[in-house]
Amino acid sequence: MKKILNLLPLISFIVLVVVLYSFLTKENDQLESVLVDKSVPEFTLPDLENPEIKISKTSINKLPALINVWATWCVACKVEHPFLMQLKKESVLTVYGLNYKDNRSKAIKLLETDGNPFELSIFDKEGKLAIDLGVYGAPETFFVDKKGRIRERHVGVLTTKVWKEKFEKFLIEDSDA
Amino acid sequence: MHKKILSMLFTSLLVGLVLADDSKEVYPFEDVVQEERFLSLLNELRCPKCQGSNLSGSNAPIAIDLKREVYRLVKLGKTEKEVKNYLVDRYGNFIVYDPPFETDTYALWLAPLLLFLVAMSVILFRRFSDKQ
Repeated sequence: MKKILNLLPLISFIVLVVVLYSFLTKENDQLESVLVDKSVPEFTLPDLENPEIKISKTSINKLPALINVWATWCVACKVEHPFLMQLKKESVLTVYGLNYKDNRSKAIKLLETDGNPFELSIFDKEGKLAIDLGVYGAPETFFVDKKGRIRERHVGVLTTKVWKEKFEKFLIEDSDA
Repeated sequence: MHKKILSMLFTSLLVGLVLADDSKEVYPFEDVVQEERFLSLLNELRCPKCQGSNLSGSNAPIAIDLKREVYRLVKLGKTEKEVKNYLVDRYGNFIVYDPPFETDTYALWLAPLLLFLVAMSVILFRRFSDKQ
């Protein structure tokens, strides 16, 4: 008994190291979104290409859809751009763009040269809707189901792997129902 | 003598550093109570991007946006609790340093108590068995 007790500090030290190490290597930059299972927040913001046109929550009506938060200053957004184009080309689902704290003309130009995967582009200069969505970095992608509820959020580059692991199941669920 | 020169050099370096920090935004208040509320909120809210720091200690773009949002809400006359709830509704419990006692935060709150009890029992047990 005494021996075990003397070993206790060592044992607890080892346990601590293992626990802390597992947290260290875990991908911890993904905050779980509190908006999951909630409706898309209300907003009124201008369209990227046509500033006089106002976009609101009701404009997001081709559901299910993705809302993709992007900007021209965001390098990782360029990486995921081909994947968004692929979603459009294969008509997998609608993608709405949320242009986040960007320069309007630069954003329009990029969509002209690299292709425009978005059904509509919301221009959020001050990041108002972004704060309501709990966005903390671009790119971020939200899945909105047929009923207009947010089901999942991904922070970072959207790849085929992420799509299959996090989003595809909701699309299947929606087409089954 | 050497020490004096050294300390003078060090002081001027520090002054230079403080002056060079032009990243500070100004948040004017007419109400002292509101200003205090604003400053204490910045210390108690966590920057969601940088994770290790609070809003007042961060200059990440999102932290600046959230500071501006907190400023707007405090200016509107919102209480500390209302501002916190507003941000928790968008960013989750992560954003506050004192998260509520809920199912997913049980471990967080109880772990220190548990560790304390374990440590105490080890110490007591040792004392007891030493005497024998």
